[in-house]
Amino acid sequence: MDAADHKHPNYVAVWGGLFVLTVIEVAAVYMRIPRHLLVLALLLLAAWKALLVALYFMHLRFEPKRLALVALAPLPLGIILVVAVLQEFAKR
Amino acid sequence: MTAAAAPHDAGLHAGHDDRPWLRRYVFSTDHKTIGIQFLFLSLTFLLLGGLMAMVIRWQLGFPGTPVPGGSILPDAMAPGGVIRPSFYNALVTMHGTFMIFFAVMPLLTGVFANYLIPLKIGAPDMAFPRLNMWSFWLMIPAGTLALAGFFVEGGSAASGWTAYAPLSNSPLYTGVSAGQILWCVAIIIFGASSLLGSVNYIATVVNLRAPGMTWMRLPLSVWALFITAILALLAVPILAGAIIMLLFDQVLGTHFYLPTGGGQPLLWQHLFWFFGHPEVYILILPAMGIVSDVIANGSRKPIFGYTSMVFAIGGIAGLGFMVWGHHMFVSGMNPTLGTSFMASTMLIAVPTSIKVFNWLGTMWRGNIHFHVPMLNAIGFLSMFVIGGLSGIFMAATPVDMYIHDTYFIVAHIHYVLFGGSLFAAFAGIYYWFPKMFGREMHDGLGRWHFGLTFVFYNLTFFPMHLLGLGGHMRRLYDPTQYPFLAPMQPINVFVSVSAFLLMAAQLPFVWNFFWSLFRGPKAPLNPWRDNSLEWTVPSPPPHGNFVETPTVYRGPYEYSVPGEPEDFLPQDRPAPARQEAH
Amino acid sequence: MAPAVQPAAPPAEEGIGVYTQKLGMWVFLASEVMFFTALIGTYIILRWGSAESWPVPQDILNIPLTAFNTFVLICSSVSMVKAYAAATHDDQKGLRLWLVLTVLAGATFVGVQVLEYRHLIHEGLLPSGIRDGSPLAARLVDSGKLTATAAGLFGSAFFTMTGFHGFHVTCGVICMTFVTIKAFRGGYSGGRFHGVEVIGLYWHFVDLVWIILFTIVYLI
Repeated sequence: MDAADHKHPNYVAVWGGLFVLTVIEVAAVYMRIPRHLLVLALLLLAAWKALLVALYFMHLRFEPKRLALVALAPLPLGIILVVAVLQEFAKR
Repeated sequence: MTAAAAPHDAGLHAGHDDRPWLRRYVFSTDHKTIGIQFLFLSLTFLLLGGLMAMVIRWQLGFPGTPVPGGSILPDAMAPGGVIRPSFYNALVTMHGTFMIFFAVMPLLTGVFANYLIPLKIGAPDMAFPRLNMWSFWLMIPAGTLALAGFFVEGGSAASGWTAYAPLSNSPLYTGVSAGQILWCVAIIIFGASSLLGSVNYIATVVNLRAPGMTWMRLPLSVWALFITAILALLAVPILAGAIIMLLFDQVLGTHFYLPTGGGQPLLWQHLFWFFGHPEVYILILPAMGIVSDVIANGSRKPIFGYTSMVFAIGGIAGLGFMVWGHHMFVSGMNPTLGTSFMASTMLIAVPTSIKVFNWLGTMWRGNIHFHVPMLNAIGFLSMFVIGGLSGIFMAATPVDMYIHDTYFIVAHIHYVLFGGSLFAAFAGIYYWFPKMFGREMHDGLGRWHFGLTFVFYNLTFFPMHLLGLGGHMRRLYDPTQYPFLAPMQPINVFVSVSAFLLMAAQLPFVWNFFWSLFRGPKAPLNPWRDNSLEWTVPSPPPHGNFVETPTVYRGPYEYSVPGEPEDFLPQDRPAPARQEAH
Repeated sequence: MAPAVQPAAPPAEEGIGVYTQKLGMWVFLASEVMFFTALIGTYIILRWGSAESWPVPQDILNIPLTAFNTFVLICSSVSMVKAYAAATHDDQKGLRLWLVLTVLAGATFVGVQVLEYRHLIHEGLLPSGIRDGSPLAARLVDSGKLTATAAGLFGSAFFTMTGFHGFHVTCGVICMTFVTIKAFRGGYSGGRFHGVEVIGLYWHFVDLVWIILFTIVYLI
């Protein structure tokens, strides 16, 4: 049933994307960018890279939606934990 | 998709079993054998935890007097039989640790999830039988290491089962170093075992259901065990991470929780309770599932509000991840955060009450059969309501500030964990014993066991509410030290005596269990006239469970269907040649 | 609830639509997400909850070296996915080649990390903090740029997080070696690619965690 179709995206293109994003990340650190902007940019870039890996290398894009649910289920929990505890400690 | 039901292993069919002895009884990958192994292991740990409780109760009831038979204990624990304060702390810690991690959790998930899930969904075995075997065999080193703490320099971990930092990560406070390290390693191994179990239960329920076994035809016990597995899957790794950092604080000199090194002791509490509260539901949800099955059977009626039961289980589980702060109201947390934790905690009362009213609705006007599992299930229902109500007291921040860390909390946890989980576990053992071992348990002894346990359990734990409201601290070595507690000492004596009788009330169960194991009358295929698939196979079921993969036509609670000759309608019986009237 | 009667072929509700081993790996990875949440979350909380100023990563860590290591890990992910693609096409030669490359890249990553640790420990960064009298202490603590407490927390979190990631990579390399041996024995011929796909999921997940870790620990 699952031997029928294997979609293989252009893996080398994904690899190129990851490479370029990494270069941008590292370069950004050495440039004079305002701190808040830098942190935001780095987090977005990291999320983008993570998404590339999950969608194409881990094939989440070609899997049933319910499997994506399994993969995404823990994320809100982790965010709740970190945000709640962080605002508890960072109230200076 | 045929693969949903196809045996993962082509050679696995019920009937022919040529495994060598060792693979059959010791390193078995058969989910039924593993479930039974878990049963013996968890009952052993339950006994150990119970014995520890007896020693604790002796010290609280009769402080400073030698424990009967306590002279066999080494001087480091109890010189002349009198409990040392350090040993008392170790006992309190290990009583909690053993009961929660090594007794009740394996008893409810290890035993019933392993034994019941494949049988109830019509699968030949778990999705990953070999991982399942590892899940059991990892429990042995975990339990052994935890126990070994008693025999190392400095004694066992003594910072409570919650292991609050910095009490736990520096030997400065408890004088325990090696014992605490052993505790950490034991819990990490336990976490690995729990993870393997959870992955198995989830994959099995999702992918190995028999044809026709749709999600909304699953027995509620399977639903509860499935959601429990998700909770354990997502909560236990947080504990593992937290404990690894606690371990590193002790052995590598890191400073995660050490305030002297800039660390945050409260971080431990947050991480621990982020695991700890889902853990509470890991301990109660399977109990609710078992009770749902037993109550519907005992009432000979379809379960009331099946769909709402399913959503209530999910709701309890989901909310369970957002309430951990209610264990920490006195930690000086931001009032805004505290209030939101209070609100979310009270919200849990809604799905929980839905379940309680559904059980009552199931029994309402039912043709109730008071068989022993049903008695225990009703015991669960009534005691769980008391524990749940005292939980709502504690959810209110101002009330909790007053009763925090008193015996009121101890009473509450025992009402939900003994009154809730253990009564349900007894119900489950009485209910599925005939299926597991092919022999019936003695009915009269079962009734005596239930009656005595129910009475002495209440006599033990109800007065603890009063002690707590009077200010009796939890984890207190000697209550007579405090003048304001002295007038309540008779209550402590009463509680202790009741606790000893409660322990003695378990003797009929032990006798019944072992006697029935060897001498009980042979059990028929379906002694409770139940609908679920496990009752369509022989008792005990053969290796591979089903000769042919069963086909499911309906939900598991079709009792007393009008027009049927019997008052039950098994899930795999092809429908009669008429339209069903609902 | 029970629908109509006489279903010769009852409404067989499907599983999730993927084979069980893959589902099991995804479920396991969900749990791994929570494990790394505990570790990464602790770093975030300690860093932004700390009353003292946190060390600037570039002052202590070797960013170019780790950027190279990140590149190596990304390459190993590509070779892994290429191995999987080869396995689905029953291209045995390609499968073996890409698997060997993956193992080598993974081992290189671990090797570079060991070198990095050795260098850091030599410089004076330990899990318990900055060693007194070490070059790092002279450069940062004695000059007043950094307090010993903040350095201690940084050391604790840094070694725990990257160490556990390294542990995962090491486990991956070991498993991958067995997979490679099996591939050389023809264990994945004839369309039997499940083993390669499942270990690949784990491998990409470890890569994904590193992407997050690298950004949070080394760059921000």
